[in-house]
Amino acid sequence: MPYDDPDPSDPHLLIGVEVPAEEGSELEMAYVFAEEFARMGFSEQRLLALFHHPFYAGANRALKTLGEEKIRSIIGETLAVWGKFRIRVEDAPAKEDWEVPLISLGGETEQS
Amino acid sequence: MSQVYNWQLGREMGYPYEAKYPDRQFAFVFNINRCIACQSCTMACKSTWTFNKGQEHMWWANVETKPYGGYPQFWDAKILQYLREADPEGQVWNGAVSDNAKSMYGQFAGKTIFEAAEKAMQPASARVLGYLPTDEEWNSPNIYEDNPVGPKGQRYRFHETGEQLPVHNTWFFYLARICNHCTYPACLAACPRQAIYKRPEDGIVLLDQSQCRGYRKCVEACPYKKSMYRGNTRVSEKCIACYPRVEGTDPETNGQPMETRCMAACIGQIRMQGLVKLSEDGSWAEDRQHPLYYLVHVAKVALPLYPQLGTSPNGYYIPPRWVPRDYLRQMFGPGVDRALERYIHPDRELLAVLQLFRRSNIIIFRYEVEEGPLIYEGTYRGKDVKIYDDTVIAFNRDGKEIFRTKVEEPLHVRPAQHQNSI
Repeated sequence: MPYDDPDPSDPHLLIGVEVPAEEGSELEMAYVFAEEFARMGFSEQRLLALFHHPFYAGANRALKTLGEEKIRSIIGETLAVWGKFRIRVEDAPAKEDWEVPLISLGGETEQS
Repeated sequence: MSQVYNWQLGREMGYPYEAKYPDRQFAFVFNINRCIACQSCTMACKSTWTFNKGQEHMWWANVETKPYGGYPQFWDAKILQYLREADPEGQVWNGAVSDNAKSMYGQFAGKTIFEAAEKAMQPASARVLGYLPTDEEWNSPNIYEDNPVGPKGQRYRFHETGEQLPVHNTWFFYLARICNHCTYPACLAACPRQAIYKRPEDGIVLLDQSQCRGYRKCVEACPYKKSMYRGNTRVSEKCIACYPRVEGTDPETNGQPMETRCMAACIGQIRMQGLVKLSEDGSWAEDRQHPLYYLVHVAKVALPLYPQLGTSPNGYYIPPRWVPRDYLRQMFGPGVDRALERYIHPDRELLAVLQLFRRSNIIIFRYEVEEGPLIYEGTYRGKDVKIYDDTVIAFNRDGKEIFRTKVEEPLHVRPAQHQNSI
């Protein structure tokens, strides 16, 4: 936070002003959290634990507002679509070595 | 003042110079749903171009926490206010969003910064409505980062309940910004010495420092405040779009155009940059398999930043899902609702194209989608959804494949005998 008090005569100074979110924002956020972590391979159990953890303030707030039942249904719905993360072992694609002429790096030729 | 066509506004508008367009235009898409404000882009730029004495306040690339933050502070709130004062009731959009590439977001009925200057500024020769930020506004590039609402802290004292996490009854998001290399640059329009020019090959806007006399007209005019004055050289400087990389002179790519430092450094994989084809009136020429053309003109999920200012910026943003729509409509124009609807329920092609972000530093000129198997069918949030494990392939300027990737992203695991070896 800034160390100085806000100047109330400054019409641009917005600090301390609460801009209310729209109806339904909490639901949108809950889906965003669930989708993000489902795509990273979180299980249903881990996702629910994340919503319960106060460190994840946004997710935790969504759980408090919407209730556990709703969060469970969001997690279930999201995992069905995005939770299909499968580990597939693949060799990294072959890459050719770079052809970097020394002169382009400002090397010997310029110094000599 | 000449009349030029601004497709983002869906109409002609006044501009101090006649219309002239490059062969290709530097453009980019940022998906700010994914930005975590790690500032890797900011530091990549800073450590490359603006680390010298006199450049301390120069953050050509920055990430600000909206709605409170901004660099310089209040840059957008101020220019919007000046425009409203110049045209109190008129800053509105008419018509509906459409598929017409010449007026995709309807028609802007208000005044741009060029048109408002005629009415609101003195002397009559003033070309662009703008303002010079104060020194205080340039002081703090990260001001209000991650700070929605809260009590005032005290120096040298711990907060009494600091171990308990506060609940913020509010929202915010991170807006990553660089110079938009506008089609109708305000900095270029305002420069009395014509020191600023737009390159005909890639539309990058550069400032010729040997011509600049430091009048700071560009700093005043640029509504995005991306032209900055350097006190110890007494000339202005701005983002150069890492043009040596875009030209392909970096040895890493063997002559292929390469994305800028800020793009390449993005760990959130929110950024994609390209060079798009323009048609004769400055709108985007059809290039169906170009990923940026697809995101802006076909899927229409990426929108210009403050299009109503009138500079036709070439930075496009996929708006954040959770932010109040009124705020987003002001920031990205009337296309917001359509963009978010499509982003939340991506179709088969959009899902594939979204995988192209940050798989390579080489600029993508074309993509192809190879169809894969159906991996999910059902409903999601009340809508039917089908997910396919398609493969998307990216090609460079010469039509050579750069990489291919899948919707179901593979995890590369090193074989046991080569673990941790170089």
